[in-house]
Amino acid sequence: MTQITATLDELREIAADVLEVEPEEVSDDGLFAEEHDTDSLRAIELLARVEKRYKVDIPQQELPNMVSLRALHDVVAKYAVRG
Amino acid sequence: MPVLELPDIARVLPHRHPILLVDRVRHLDPDRRIVAEKAISGAEPCYAGIDEHAGPDDHAYPATLLIESFGQAGALLWLHSARLRGLDLPGLPLFGAARDVRFTGSAYPGDVVEHTVELAGTKGDTAFLTGETRVRGTVIVTFGSMLAVARGRPAAPERNLNHRAAAVRRLPRR
Repeated sequence: MTQITATLDELREIAADVLEVEPEEVSDDGLFAEEHDTDSLRAIELLARVEKRYKVDIPQQELPNMVSLRALHDVVAKYAVRG
Repeated sequence: MPVLELPDIARVLPHRHPILLVDRVRHLDPDRRIVAEKAISGAEPCYAGIDEHAGPDDHAYPATLLIESFGQAGALLWLHSARLRGLDLPGLPLFGAARDVRFTGSAYPGDVVEHTVELAGTKGDTAFLTGETRVRGTVIVTFGSMLAVARGRPAAPERNLNHRAAAVRRLPRR
C-alpha cells in the first residue's frame, strides 16, 4: 500500500543531518563507517529517522546492511513496498 | 501525591547514592511521559571543596549532572513502562547521545529541578527521549533528542521479569 517515495537525495538530507555533515559530503556509495566514522548509535538514529519520515517499520536486524546511502535506500524500499 | 518516591525509584533504576539523581516522580503516563524532580542541595558531592569565596555562578549545578538527571528520569519512564507490562530491558539503561540540547538557565542549591521527559519512541534496545528541565516553572534546559540504550547484559529481548523480581526479594535489606 505505502508508496515508496524515498529518493536518494531525501535520504541524503536525513543522513547528513544525523551525521552532522553537509549533504554534499554524503556520497551514494561511500561507507558511512569509513567516511563519517558512523557508530551504532548514529546508525540506529538514522534508522529511527527514516522510519518516522516514511512511516515504515524496519527491523533492527537490517542495521548491518545499512552501510551506505544506496544500501539504506534499498532497505527502505524493501520494507516500504510491504506496507 | 507523588507517583513514585525514592525507594520506588531505587527499585527501578540501578543507580545509587551519590549518583542517583531523581528524587521523586510526580506524574507517569506509561510509554509516554514522566514528570520527575530532583532537589539540589549545597551538601551535594559536586560542591565538595568549593572555594569559600566562590560566587553564586560557581554554585550553578553542573550541566553534566542535569543531563544525567534528565536521562535517569527518562530511563525511569522507559523501565517502569516496560515493567508494567511484565517485561525487562535487555540490559542496563545507559546514556547514549544527545542532540539539540539548549541551556537557558541554571539551578542552584535550594532549587528543585523538574524534568518533563517524553518517550518519542523506542527501537529494540534504544529509546528516544525529548523534553525540558524547569526550575520554578522556568525552562532551564531543552532536550531536542536524547538516546538511551540498554546494554551490558547478554541480549535476551523481552526477558520475563518475574525471575528477577523473585531474586531481588531474596536480597537482605540494608
